[in-house]
Parts: sequence; structure tokens; C-alpha cells
Amino acid sequence: MKSKLFLFGVIALVMGLHNGLFAQLQDEKSVTITMDLQPILQLDMETADQIEFVFDDIKDYYAGITKYGATILKVSSTVSWDLYAVGRSNGTTGAEFWDQIIDYGSGTGTNSINEIPLSAVELHQSQPNNGAGGALITATYPDYSTPFPASNVHNGANSLYVNNGTLTPPTVADKYIAGHSGTTALGDDAMEGGSYLTAGGYTSDYYYVIDYRLMPGLPAIFPNAFDADAATAEDLVTVNGADSYAEPGVYTMYVQYVLVEDQ
Amino acid sequence: MNHNQIRGISLLTIAILICTMQAKSQIVCADVEILPASGERADFVFDSFSKYISGIAFHGIAKVNVKVDDQLPPNPNCKWMLSMSVENNPASGTPADEWEQLVNYGVGTLSPAKIEILEVRVTNICNTSPIDGVYQNFTQTTDIIEIIENTGIRIDAGSCTTNVNGPGSYLMNYDEFHFQIDFRIIPGFDYDPGMYQLQLKFELVEVP
Repeated sequence: MKSKLFLFGVIALVMGLHNGLFAQLQDEKSVTITMDLQPILQLDMETADQIEFVFDDIKDYYAGITKYGATILKVSSTVSWDLYAVGRSNGTTGAEFWDQIIDYGSGTGTNSINEIPLSAVELHQSQPNNGAGGALITATYPDYSTPFPASNVHNGANSLYVNNGTLTPPTVADKYIAGHSGTTALGDDAMEGGSYLTAGGYTSDYYYVIDYRLMPGLPAIFPNAFDADAATAEDLVTVNGADSYAEPGVYTMYVQYVLVEDQ
Repeated sequence: MNHNQIRGISLLTIAILICTMQAKSQIVCADVEILPASGERADFVFDSFSKYISGIAFHGIAKVNVKVDDQLPPNPNCKWMLSMSVENNPASGTPADEWEQLVNYGVGTLSPAKIEILEVRVTNICNTSPIDGVYQNFTQTTDIIEIIENTGIRIDAGSCTTNVNGPGSYLMNYDEFHFQIDFRIIPGFDYDPGMYQLQLKFELVEVP
């Protein structure tokens, strides 16, 4: 027994010496590297200060007026993103209606309505929305890429998104220019970070040419006004009753384009 | 096993281990040092789109000065190697292929930055490193990139050729023992915005 203990002791001693003497001369130096990735969402817009629709001819009422290429949207983003348009006004007539600046004539007709819905504005975008392919998107028209329909077709395919005068993002039932509601994945409801500068210019997913159309119809009830979220028509007859028509005058509203990180 | 056999085995074990020990653990240089001893810092701030696209490069932001002293009398086996690796504070739970994220900006759905986007270039006047002038990157914190390799062959200072690893000093052999470190990062658009941190470690060690 004594001999065995001696054997283990010798081995342990030698192993300890072995480990201790195995050291090598060495030195170390560290460099600390910090990286600050700041999120950048940049929307460049080329557009006229004001886009005017003057209806002074009966055919303009009937066929509407289209302003092609009135706005160009150029996106640069370092993060996944969504882009949408929302109709807004100062709310002097109501949160979801155009502001009436001037009322032509007496304006006291029984069926004369000055509450023109913001969704009467129709948009058309040059590139389809390639970020709305997810199964959760329920919108019949997930973007504004459908060509303007004929004047006798009223399907809401191009009607502007409106949400009670706020800029709250559309739901899965409404339209985005690019990306969509939700955070599932790129292509499903988000666009990938990038820029029109490096992604192919006007044919890319970062460059959109926007056309505008306003079609009062005859009588002037704005038959293409449509609320996709509620799936209801918003033309003046549906909302106000038979024989309603738009009160002549000068009206104004604005379209707000919102570029937001996909979230 | 009788008493004599055990004693014999003990003596044999001692002899073998001592021989091995002497072959492997001999200190062959008098001193190895990286100077200056204090750490340096590189801050990359990506606050414009053009920086995201083209990246940011810092040239010569870190310097590694090597000083290896020979023994007296000189030991022909005094050689050294220089390597670099990265560290990302794994104790905080950082995965081995990611930067340590200090702050997360916003609520996006992208992923934290990968360490592979950090590019490091080592140069000196004599181009002594086999990777001289070529940007290198790490994919894992376990990656070790050798700046001066351990080839087992000693190449004396003053030869101004690849892999000089004999005794010398940046004071006497500046062209071979002074290394300039360049950093470059091109982040692209795949990572969560936020503040990240990483340590780049240089290790100088003698190789008998």
C-alpha cells in the first residue's frame, strides 16, 4: 500500500511540475471597436407644390382628370420598411372630408353636399407592391398598381386610404404602396432595406411614380370613393341618400406619404 | 505487482515526463512584449446612407509594436508568432458569430450584426506577414488569424522578408516589427440598428 501511494505521489508531482513549467512568454493587447448603426429612413419626393384639378367642362366631370407622374417617390432605408399614402385635411368640414375653401353660389340646395370624401382621390403607382405577398394580407387590392378603371367601373381599386384624419397605418385589408401591415417576413409584409441609388433606379422597388385621378361623375357624386377597411362605398349617394351631389366650390386636401420601419 | 516493480515504474515515469517537459516547456526568449500596452479604440458611426453603402475605413487606427528579447547567451530557438482574434463578451449571452449588442434602436425585426462584417488589414513596411495588405474577417469568436505564423523555422530580423520571427524590436527593426492595423466595416442593410461592441485581441507568444 505504501508503495502504491508513493507511485501516485511521484506521478502527481511530476504532472504538476510539467504543467507549471509549460508556460510560454506571451503578451496581449486589445483594441475596442464600437459600431453605431443608426437607422436611416429617407423618402425623397419630387412633386408640384400643389396639384390642381379644375372641372370647368362637362367631359371633365364625366371622365375625370388624371395627372400622370405628378409625384415621384424615392426610398432609401437601412432597415426593413413599409410605405403608404393617407388622405388628410384640416377637418373643417369633417375629419374624412375635403376642406371647402370657397362655396360657389348660394349653396343652399337641399341635396347639395359639401362633404366630399378624401377617398375620392385615386392613385396609381408605377411599380407593383412586392412586399405584400403574405397569407395574412386580406386586401382585395393591396396596393395602387391596378390601372385606373373605365369611368363606368367603380371598384375602389385605386381609392386613397383614409383613417379618420389620422396617419395611422392601414390594416391588412387596405392599401400600401410598398410592404404591408405585419412583421412576418420580407416579401410577405415588408420591403428589404436598400436604396433607389443602388437598386436599379426607376424600375426598382425603391422608386414609384404616382398618378392622380379625380372623377366627380355626373351627377357629381364621386363614385369611386371607397373605404376598403370597412368595405363600403363612400360616394355621396350611398352616404347621403338619393339625389345628392357635390356642392360647387373650391376644395383642398393633402396626401401624406409615410415611410416607416416595418414593425 | 511487487515493491520493486512499482519503484521501477515510478522511476521510468519520472524519466519520461521530465524528458518531455524539457523538450516542450523550455523558455527560449528573454521577453516578448506588445507596445504600447494600453488599449486603443475605434468608433464607427453610421449616420448617413452613403456610409452604409460605401462603408467606413480607419487606416492605422491601431499599431502593434513587437519587442522580443533574446536570452544571454543568445538562444537559436528564440522565435515568436503573432495572432489576432475577437471577443464579444460571451458571458452576456452573445452568440459566437455576433457583435455584442449594447443598445437596440427601434423595434425592427432584423438580426444583430455578424462579426464577419468587421474587416481587419495588417501591414508593415517589409510585408512580413503572409496576410499583409489583405483584409481579413472572422466568422466566429473561435477563429484565430495568424499575422506571423509558427512555421518552426526561424527567420532573423533584418532580412525584410516574409514571416520574420527572430528576436528584435520595433526600435531597431521598425520595418519588420511595427504593424499598422486598418479596420473597415460595410454593414449593408441586414442588421438591427443599435450600438455594438467587439474586442480585437493581438497575442504575441514565443514558440520554442
